Amino acid sequence: MKFSRVVVQALLVVAVITSIVLSFFIWTNTARYQRGRNIDVTSAESNKNEIPMNQVISPTSVIWHDETDQHLIYNSNENISLSIQKVMQDWKIDEPKLISDKDGAKYQKVIQAKNTLQMVYPTSISINTLGYLLNNDSLKNDKSNQFNRILVNLKDKKDQNIYLANDDNYAVYKAKVKNASSVPISKLVDKANIDLKVRLDIMKHGVFTSYVDPIKLKTYSYVISGKKDGEYTTALFDSNTNGLVTSEDNGVYTYNYGESKRLISDHNTEELTFEDYTDTSVPKTQLAFLQRGYQKVTNLQNSISNLRLYSADWSDKDLIFREYVEGFPIFKKSQFGSIRIKFSRKGSTEHFLNKVLEVPVPSNSAATKLKSTNEIFKGLQRAGYSPNDVQGIEVGYQWEAEADNEKVVDLKPTYYVKIGGHWKAYEEWTNESAEEE
Amino acid sequence: MDFRRIEVIFLIVFFSLDIFLFLSFRNSQQLVSSTSTNTSTVTEMRKRNISFGSLDTKNGNAYYLGSQPDDSLAQNVQKLRNQKVEYENVNHTLVSTLNNPITVTTANRTEVMNKFVKKESNILFGKDYKYAPQLSSSSQMIYVPTGSLGEVYDKTAQLVFSVSEGEVVGYTQTYVKKLIVLHEKQAIKSEKEVVTNLYANSEIPNNSKISYANLAYTKLLEANDSTIYIPVWFVTIRNKDSKVSTTKKVNAFTGNIIKSSTNGDNYSAQ
Repeated sequence: MKFSRVVVQALLVVAVITSIVLSFFIWTNTARYQRGRNIDVTSAESNKNEIPMNQVISPTSVIWHDETDQHLIYNSNENISLSIQKVMQDWKIDEPKLISDKDGAKYQKVIQAKNTLQMVYPTSISINTLGYLLNNDSLKNDKSNQFNRILVNLKDKKDQNIYLANDDNYAVYKAKVKNASSVPISKLVDKANIDLKVRLDIMKHGVFTSYVDPIKLKTYSYVISGKKDGEYTTALFDSNTNGLVTSEDNGVYTYNYGESKRLISDHNTEELTFEDYTDTSVPKTQLAFLQRGYQKVTNLQNSISNLRLYSADWSDKDLIFREYVEGFPIFKKSQFGSIRIKFSRKGSTEHFLNKVLEVPVPSNSAATKLKSTNEIFKGLQRAGYSPNDVQGIEVGYQWEAEADNEKVVDLKPTYYVKIGGHWKAYEEWTNESAEEE
Repeated sequence: MDFRRIEVIFLIVFFSLDIFLFLSFRNSQQLVSSTSTNTSTVTEMRKRNISFGSLDTKNGNAYYLGSQPDDSLAQNVQKLRNQKVEYENVNHTLVSTLNNPITVTTANRTEVMNKFVKKESNILFGKDYKYAPQLSSSSQMIYVPTGSLGEVYDKTAQLVFSVSEGEVVGYTQTYVKKLIVLHEKQAIKSEKEVVTNLYANSEIPNNSKISYANLAYTKLLEANDSTIYIPVWFVTIRNKDSKVSTTKKVNAFTGNIIKSSTNGDNYSAQ
């Protein structure tokens, strides 16, 4: 009798333990099952049609200094700077060290070094952002320092370094590179089919790229696309459009989503402004700042393959993106480029244009020959602007609607000059043409 | 005595609980394994009796291409022999009727016609064309231009032989002299991405065969008197039951399925 009781008790203990073990397995397993499914969904989403972040935040001009001169190079069949970035992803880059600072003369030497290729960003970004874009851990550790030029010596075998330079404070950082070869980069340089002789001048308001001789540049045409207001409200208010308050005044439409979000669409200029009063967290790091800007940009527009980060003002939390064609920025008839994003504690603001370059089409116009940068400075002086007034000078493309086809725009090259905080075409400052006669 | 009875009741309850837990554990295991095959769409497709060869996972690059209208065919028409030719100026098409129809069988027609196409007095610029079995049918043999940039599957650049009752009676031809690269190269979707995407969008029925998956340029739109071409994946799916083939087109830049009329006009790049 006693024996059977022991058996019953032992079996009971076993049964209880088994039930606990089984419950444990079921719980942990279900969790894994659900988590696995989520990962699957998100990775499928992010793979969709997206242009990677390292294309939107990438160098826009490539300058090659051979034995004698500096050349701005471009390959119209293949984006050189994107291809070099791909090569650099395999490099082992050590942590960068500061080698010089606030020394203009030394800085000039660095950016004019021979046999050196440099890739120039339109704005300075933090070194850890580059680390994130190249997936490089030692660069990721450098959180505070900024740069806007990457320099690589392609001929000197002993110089196994890359240099990061910052035009704003003349800082130069040096980082040791392993597992790298200059051969693929030299090949990309040789394939360039646009080659313009340039000189880098340090001026009062920064480093300017000057074209030594008159330059001949192609004109381009694009089919442009836009979206209806409804498509923007669906994407930006991320909910159905019920409860939208709409008002219209002289072609300016305002859509309110409660008290929290507002979209203003000006149908006359095709400019839109989106304000999100719920987005009150200001990015804490420079990397987060650019990442959030990139996310907002992908949410706004479908085709961003021509879009590049043009200016990042970390102190004001202000980002500007512009469209680029073959390495030159496009200036549209707005002061903010293509997209401007501002973060603040009161909420984020996005200004953007409802005109996006969609499909390139052959241009009917002939190439344009522009004056040398020196001639442009002379012209500005005649109009009463001294070189010290010039805050920026850049060759860019002007946006001109075709008279007989409103879906197609022509892009014509000209000089853009920034004076008093405003970018305007050279012609508007001086009433003179930037074209060589 | 009472306590013993309680022990026995507990034992029975816990055993039944164990059995229940074990069964539900087995169930959740099966769920896990079914989701993991879900992630590999390829395995699932095989399970559903969709057959295909190995799928290329490599993401290539392609361009936006443009071509200007061209009348090279009209200018060289005097080189052609033994055929009656008409040239349509509007769509730059050459329509020819052969004086002596060529007798072909299903087995030898490719070989016979390849030889015919190569000769300049038969077909203008024939060396630039290549037979495209994916586009052809029993009544039509379609040749497409090949170049260093890739093939073009489009009515604006094609050589079409009409076959009737075992005889090739004539052809129509369009020709693109030169394709211009309009924009730097851009990454495109791989064959595998395109096929799995088609499957995910229920465009591939069960019990079918992917007979062709080719990348070729096709007309997107006309602007500024030029034709713009984009890379498109042409995926032909043959239903094993009905023996009917359908060709799906996928924009290789965006991965979007092109749902368009047969002539391929008027769809957006999105």
